[in-house]
Amino acid sequence: MIRRFEIYAVAPDADDAGVSAFESACARCGRFIPEVLHSAVGWNRSDAPVQMVWEHAFASAEAYQRYMVHPYHADVLDRYLLADSPERVVVDDGLGAGLVGYSCDGPVFAMTGGLRRLVLLRLSRQASTAQVNDFERTLAGAAEADDLILSVVGANTLGSAWFDAVTPVGGRPRWTHLWEQGFVDTDGLASYRHGPSSLAEAERRGWQGVFDGVVERAVSLYYEIADPRPERG
Amino acid sequence: MPFVVDTIQVEPEHVAAYIAAVEQHGLPVMTEAGAVFVSCATTSADFGAPVDVQVVWSFDDHAQWNVIRKNLVLDPRWYGYAQTVAALRTGGTRRFYYPVGFSS
Repeated sequence: MIRRFEIYAVAPDADDAGVSAFESACARCGRFIPEVLHSAVGWNRSDAPVQMVWEHAFASAEAYQRYMVHPYHADVLDRYLLADSPERVVVDDGLGAGLVGYSCDGPVFAMTGGLRRLVLLRLSRQASTAQVNDFERTLAGAAEADDLILSVVGANTLGSAWFDAVTPVGGRPRWTHLWEQGFVDTDGLASYRHGPSSLAEAERRGWQGVFDGVVERAVSLYYEIADPRPERG
Repeated sequence: MPFVVDTIQVEPEHVAAYIAAVEQHGLPVMTEAGAVFVSCATTSADFGAPVDVQVVWSFDDHAQWNVIRKNLVLDPRWYGYAQTVAALRTGGTRRFYYPVGFSS
């Protein structure tokens, strides 16, 4: 299975009707492209410079490729996205995480509600395979050791293979790994972030000095699944 | 053969610059990416009202459009073109059209 996130900064001058139409287009995508699974739209509440997150999944690379050539993708979704479209509602942002995703054996990320947190991680090029594997194992096991209701980690293979989920068309992605966390609500997230977990502690320290410096950089988003879009100031 | 139809609203004083951007920047970028240029036409600028500029491209099918889109995304010139035309328009739409049976 391919887990995928599209992450967008909304243009400050985009009109509300256009933003709502884009949100609806993403949320309704699975009705028109049946290959789109586990689809939900959320609005980021962290201070990362992005607002909208569209999370979804595909059963296989072939399913992803069918999505890519589906008319709904070009006719409707791209209307709000492509740089030269007059109906574009998003802007380029400095986060560099527009499209990220990873492969997994099944819908291990599935949540029917609650709060999703997505931690984007950049691991060091110098990290050995053993170090990366150890790091991934530790993160994946966090749900058992800590207060998370879900903890899934994957290498961001889709960041550079966005065209067909197989062939890299760019260089190394800025964010090499994705760590999906699940919480009951914002109180649960706050409890974890300020609690005794060794991973939360590492994060509070900016990942300095843990896992032999395997983490170069990290940023996180969080959103309630199926949360209504907040009013814009 | 499907068509991509951009219908753009432009103030009269910006029409010439908009058309020039399409011709000088959009055409090479789009055609090198694989799209076929069909037409560029405007409503009259003589009546004191905003002008519609209609730009039409065609492509073989959505598999080819997917490749065109990839080529555009990977072409730095496309972003410059997009920025130029965005600054000149006041609004617009993009729609995909599919020919009916009796239309060649």
